[in-house]
Amino acid sequence: MTADIHTLTGAYAADALDDDERRFFEQHLEACDACAQEVAELLATAARLGGAAAEPPPPDLKVRVLDEIDRTRQEAPRPRAGDGAGSTGTATGRPWWGRLLVPAAAVLVVLGIGVGVLVNDLYGRVDSLQDQQVRYEEILAAPDARWVETQGPDGSVGRVVLSPSRGEAVLLVDGMAPAPHEHTYELWVIDAAGATPAGVFDVDDRGRVSRVVTGDFTEAAAIGVTVEPEGGSPQPTSDPVMVLELGT
Amino acid sequence: MPAPTDDDLLLDVARGDQAAYAALYDRIAGLVYGIVRRVVRDPAQSEEVAQEVLVEVWRTAARFDPDRGSAHTWILTMAHRRAIDRVRSEQASRDRTHRVGQGQQQREYDAVSEEVEVAFEHEQVRAALATLTDLQREAVELAYYKGYTYREVAELLDTPLGTIKTRMRDGLIRLRDAMGVAS
Repeated sequence: MTADIHTLTGAYAADALDDDERRFFEQHLEACDACAQEVAELLATAARLGGAAAEPPPPDLKVRVLDEIDRTRQEAPRPRAGDGAGSTGTATGRPWWGRLLVPAAAVLVVLGIGVGVLVNDLYGRVDSLQDQQVRYEEILAAPDARWVETQGPDGSVGRVVLSPSRGEAVLLVDGMAPAPHEHTYELWVIDAAGATPAGVFDVDDRGRVSRVVTGDFTEAAAIGVTVEPEGGSPQPTSDPVMVLELGT
Repeated sequence: MPAPTDDDLLLDVARGDQAAYAALYDRIAGLVYGIVRRVVRDPAQSEEVAQEVLVEVWRTAARFDPDRGSAHTWILTMAHRRAIDRVRSEQASRDRTHRVGQGQQQREYDAVSEEVEVAFEHEQVRAALATLTDLQREAVELAYYKGYTYREVAELLDTPLGTIKTRMRDGLIRLRDAMGVAS
C-alpha cells in the first residue's frame, strides 16, 4: 500500500492515526508548511464537531478540578515569539499542536541510533543526531514523499517514507524479533536487475529500529529485509522476512 | 469594557490567575465533558478523563498560542486526544473491530448524527455534516466520534486504506468550507 503522505492531514486532525503514524506525520508537519496550515484549519474544524457534542458536566466536577489546580504547578511560560527572546528556539518556533507530545524527532532519533552504533565522542554524537534529524525531516518533507507499509506474518510492522527524487527513504520497523545469534538483518533495494544491499541492522530490545536507507528508488519495486550471517552478504542468502512493495 | 473572550481568559490562566480559570471552567467544562463522553461513553471514565483534561488546561496554559488557533480548538484538540488515548488503552483495536463488525456497526453509525446533543452551534454543525457525501460523513464520524483509527475504519467499511484517508480529508475540508472555519 502506498500513499501520498500529504493526504494524512484529515486522519491526523481526527486523531485517527496510531502512535507511530502520528509521530511520523508530526515530523512531516514540522517541515511541510502547506500541511501545517491545512492541519491547523482541520483541527479547528474537528473542534467544531467536538463542540457540537457539548453536554452539562457533572455538578461536583468543578469543585474537584478547582481543588486539584490549587495543588498543581503550572508549566513555566515560554518566551513568546516576538518578545525578542527565545524566538529562535525550536520550542517557540513550532506550532502548538507540534508541542502536544514529546517531539517526534527526538523519539525517532533515539531509536535511529539504535543498536550497535557506538559513539565515543559526545560532540560526534550531537553532530550525528542533528544530521540524522535533518535528513529525516528533509525526506519526510520531500514533494514526492510516498508512504508504504507492510505487516509481516510474525506481527512485525514495517513502514517506509520514500523520496525517489532524493534517493532516500526513512524506514521504521516495529515488533521484529532480534536477529538470531551471529546473524544480522540486511536491507535490499529490489528492482528488475535484482537486489542491491542497502545496509545491515538489528532491532533494539523492543523490536524497533529506524534508519535512513539510501539507494536508487526510481526503478525499485520493493525494499526487502533478510536474515544474513553477521557482517551481511553481497546477495540475499535467504527468503525475506519483510518486503515493502513500492507499488511504482 | 467588553467581557473577556475565552482566549483572553486562557492567557490570564497562563499567568497563574485562578479566578480566570474558574471563569473559563464555566465556559469550557461542558465542551470538554461532552466530547470525552461521546468518545469514551462510560460516564465514570468520562468524568475521570474530563478532569484530567481540565487540569491539563491549567497546567499547560502557557503553551497556548493564540496566533496558532483559538482557545476552543486548543482545548477540544486536547480533550479529544485524551479521550481517544483512553479508548485505545482500554481495548485492543481488534476486539473493537470485531465487536462492531457483527452487524451492530450500521445501526450504531446511523444513530451518530441523530444523537448529537443540542448544543451551541449544533444546528450549524448538523447542516454542515449534511453537505458531506454519505461516505465522507461515515469516515469522519467513525474516526472522530467513535475513536477508530483510519485503518479500523477501512476494515469496518471494507474499503481500501487510501480511499478512507482521502474521504476523511475531503470530508473535513468540506466541513471547513461549509462552516467557514479559519485556523
